[in-house]
Amino acid sequence: MLTVTASLSLPLVLVLAGCSGGSGSTDGGAAAGGFSVAVGEPDHLTPGRTTVGYDQVRVLFAPLVKVDNKGRTSYVQAESVTSSDARHWTIKLRSGWTFHNGEPVTARSYADAWNATAYGPNGWAGNGQLAGIEGYEALNPAEGKPKTKTLSGVEVVDATTLKVTLSGPDSQFPLRLTPSQTGFYPLPKAAFEDPEGYDKAPVGNGPFKMDAAWKEDEGATVTAYDAYRGTRPEAPAITFKSYADLNTAYTDALAGNTDVIGVPVSKYGQAKADFGDRLHTYEAPSLEFMTLPLKDERYDDVRLRKALSMSIDRDAVNKAIYGGLYTPATSLTPPSEVGAETGLCDACAFDPAAARKLLAEAGGWSGQLTITYPGGLGLDELYKAIANQIRQNLGIDEVRAEPTADWAEFSEKVLGKKITGLSHAHWGALYPSMQNTLQGVFTESGGCMCSNYGDKAVDDLLRQADAATEPTAAQRLYNDAQKEILKDFPVVPLFFGSYVYAATERVSGVTVGPADVELARISVTG
Amino acid sequence: MTYLVRRLLEALLVFFGISLVIYAMTYVLPGDPVAALAGDRPLAPSVVRALREQHHLDDPLFVQYGHYLAGLFQGDLGTDFSGRPVADQMADRWPVTIKLALTAWVIEAVVGIGLGVLAALRRGTWTDRTVLAFTIGATSVPVFVLAYTAQMVLGVKFGLFPVAGTTEGWPAGYVLPALCVAAFGLASVSRLVRAEVIDNLRADYVRTAVAKGLTRRRVVGVHVLRNSLIPAVTFLAVDLGYLLGGTVIIEGVFNLPGIGQLLFQAVRGHAGPTVVGVSTALILIFLAASVLVDLLNSLLDPRIRHD
Repeated sequence: MLTVTASLSLPLVLVLAGCSGGSGSTDGGAAAGGFSVAVGEPDHLTPGRTTVGYDQVRVLFAPLVKVDNKGRTSYVQAESVTSSDARHWTIKLRSGWTFHNGEPVTARSYADAWNATAYGPNGWAGNGQLAGIEGYEALNPAEGKPKTKTLSGVEVVDATTLKVTLSGPDSQFPLRLTPSQTGFYPLPKAAFEDPEGYDKAPVGNGPFKMDAAWKEDEGATVTAYDAYRGTRPEAPAITFKSYADLNTAYTDALAGNTDVIGVPVSKYGQAKADFGDRLHTYEAPSLEFMTLPLKDERYDDVRLRKALSMSIDRDAVNKAIYGGLYTPATSLTPPSEVGAETGLCDACAFDPAAARKLLAEAGGWSGQLTITYPGGLGLDELYKAIANQIRQNLGIDEVRAEPTADWAEFSEKVLGKKITGLSHAHWGALYPSMQNTLQGVFTESGGCMCSNYGDKAVDDLLRQADAATEPTAAQRLYNDAQKEILKDFPVVPLFFGSYVYAATERVSGVTVGPADVELARISVTG
Repeated sequence: MTYLVRRLLEALLVFFGISLVIYAMTYVLPGDPVAALAGDRPLAPSVVRALREQHHLDDPLFVQYGHYLAGLFQGDLGTDFSGRPVADQMADRWPVTIKLALTAWVIEAVVGIGLGVLAALRRGTWTDRTVLAFTIGATSVPVFVLAYTAQMVLGVKFGLFPVAGTTEGWPAGYVLPALCVAAFGLASVSRLVRAEVIDNLRADYVRTAVAKGLTRRRVVGVHVLRNSLIPAVTFLAVDLGYLLGGTVIIEGVFNLPGIGQLLFQAVRGHAGPTVVGVSTALILIFLAASVLVDLLNSLLDPRIRHD
C-alpha cells in the first residue's frame, strides 16, 4: 500500500516553489469582501498531479467524505459510501451537483479522473493513492507500457453510482476519500480536452471557482461558486498569494498584508508572542521520528534503542525549538488519526537514570553515534539538541549530528540504505487513519522506506484490521498492531506534528482540522 | 570595432564550454532529482519511471546534453520538472530582476558618487566622518540582517513600505529591497570616489586649472570628477553584472521572484535545463558588463586603448 506523506516537504516545497506577492495594503491584498492566503507556488493545480497546491485544490474541489476535528466522518459529494465486506464498495453521489462550468458531477467524472491519475505513464504525483484499487497493477506494470487505460476495479453503474473493487479488503476506504487525498477528486471533461490549460485554471466541484488562470509567482483569486450545493463558504472570495519563502509571508502577515498564513516551522518559537490568540493549531496526522539501522548489530538490542529514546527530553526540545507547538510523541499514531490511542510508548518518557541503566544492561556503547538529517531544511537545531541530550544523558562521547547537502542527497542515502546510524524521518498521513502511518512506516511494502522494520505478527494484525467491517473493531486492531510494534521499538518516536496557522484581525473562524485549514469556514470581519 | 567582434566571438566559445560544464555539474549533483521533486512523499515507482523517461534522466550525460542542445537550436530552452518552459520562467523573472538591479544600481551610482565627492571636499570635517561611519556600517552589516531589519522596522512597524510583493509594482515594491541591495556597493563606490577625488585635488593639473582662474565648480565638476570616476565606473559596471545576476537573499526576503531565486530553486531541484539556461544568460551579462567597462574606461580616459 503506497501512501503519501505531507508536511516535511513544506520547507522544501517553499524553496522549490516560485515566489511573489500580492497587492499588500490594509485589505490584506484580497479581492472585495474576501481575504488573502499565503501559499507556495504550486507545481500543478490538477488535483491528481499536484504536490504543492493543496490549499487551492481543497477549496476548488469538494471531497466525497470529510472528517471533522472531533474525528467524526460525514459525506460531502457522496451520499453514502458502503460495503459489506470492506472490499467491494458502492459510492452513491449526491445528484444535482455541478462543476463550475455547469457540467454535472457524475460517477463518470470520478472514473475518468481516477483512471487518469492511476495511469502510470501520465506521471501524476497522486498515482500511488489509488494503488489499493483492483487493476492498478495493470496500469502501472513494472516494465513497459500498460495495455489498458482504465482501472478494472472502478465501474460506473449509473450517473450517481460508482462501484469500486479493491485488490483486498480495506476498512479505511472511506477515510481515503477525505480532502487531502487529491487523487480521489472528480474531473470534468474540460480537464482532458486541454490538460495544460486546465492545470492553470482547474474547473472543480467545490465551493470556490477560479475567475482567471493562476498567475505564476503571483497567485489567483477564487470566488464563491453560486451553484455549490454543499455548505456555503463564509467569505465571497479568497486571494491566494504566492510566496517563495513562507518566512516572508509570515512577516507580511505581521504587517497585516496577508490574512491567513501557514506558520513556517522556523517561526514556531515566536509565533505565540507575535500572534497571540490569532494563532490556530491542530495536531496534524504526522509523526516525527528517528530511524534506526535495525540490521546493524550495534543497534540490535532493544534495550539500547529504548535507552536512546529515554535519554531525549522531548518536552524541553519542543519548548525550546518549536515554541511548544509540537506534541511529544507518546505512541506511533498521532491522535488526529481516527481512534488512535496515545500514551502507549513507555520508552518515550524522559528518564535519564533508567536510560543509563538500560544502556548498561545492553552492554554500553563504544565508538561514534551519528544522526543523519537533510540539510537546508532548518532541522539543524533539532538534531544538535538531540545529539547533545544523548551525549549528556547517556554519557556517550561521540554523538554527531550530520546534515547532508540537501534533501535529494538525503533521500538517496535513505533509499540506498547507506545510513549507518540514527536518521531523520517524518511521516505525514494524507488521510487520518492509523492504517496510513502503521502501514506506511512499519511494513516492508510500506513505501516510506523509513523504518527498516517488518514483522509478520504486525502484518497479520494490520491485515485483520483492514478486513474488519466494524470501524471500532478495526481501530482496536490497529492499536493492537502498534502495541506489537512498540515491543520491538524499531524507531525513536519524537513528536506529533502540527498544522499551525496565523491570521490577521480581519478574519475570524479560522478552523484547522485533520485535513489542514478549512478556508471555506473563514469569514471576513474587519 | 575589431575589438568588439573579437570579444563577441570569445563570448560564443565561452557559451558552449560553460553550458556543457554547468550541465555536467547539475548532472553530478548528489541525489536524485525526482526524489528532490517529490520531497519526502514517495512517488509510485511507475510515476518515477514516467518522469525519468520524460526528462531523459536515465540517459548518459552526453546524450542528455545532446537533447538539450538539439532543443536549443530549435529555440527551445527545455522545461523544468513540472513541465514549465525555461524560456517562460526566464521571461517572467528577468523583468523583476532588471527592475531591482537598475533601481539599486542608480541608487549606488548617484548616492555613492555624491557621498564620495561630498566627503572628499569636506575632508576631515564631521560630514566626512559621518559618511565614513555610514559606509563602514553599510559594508559590515550582512545584507540579510539589513534586509530583515529594514523590513521589520519600515515595513511592519511603520508600514512605510510594502513587506513583499511584485504585484505592488515599481517603485513601491522595489525601493526598500533596492536600498538593501545597494547598501554595500554604495559604500564601496563612495569610498573609491572619496579617495580618488582627494588624490586628484592635489594633482598638478588641478592646481593649474585653479591658477587659470576656473571656477571651483568647473574644476571639481569636470576636471577632478572625470578623472576620479575610473575606479568607480569599473566597480559599477561589474556590479551591474552582479546585480543582474539576481540576489537570492533579497529576492527571497522581499518575495520578488527574480532570476536569483529561480537559479537557487533550480539548483536545489536539480533542474538541469533551467540551471544551464539561467547561468548561461548570466555569463553573457558578465561578459557584456566587462566589455562595457573597457569601453567606458577608454571613453573617460582616452589614454586607455584596446587595439
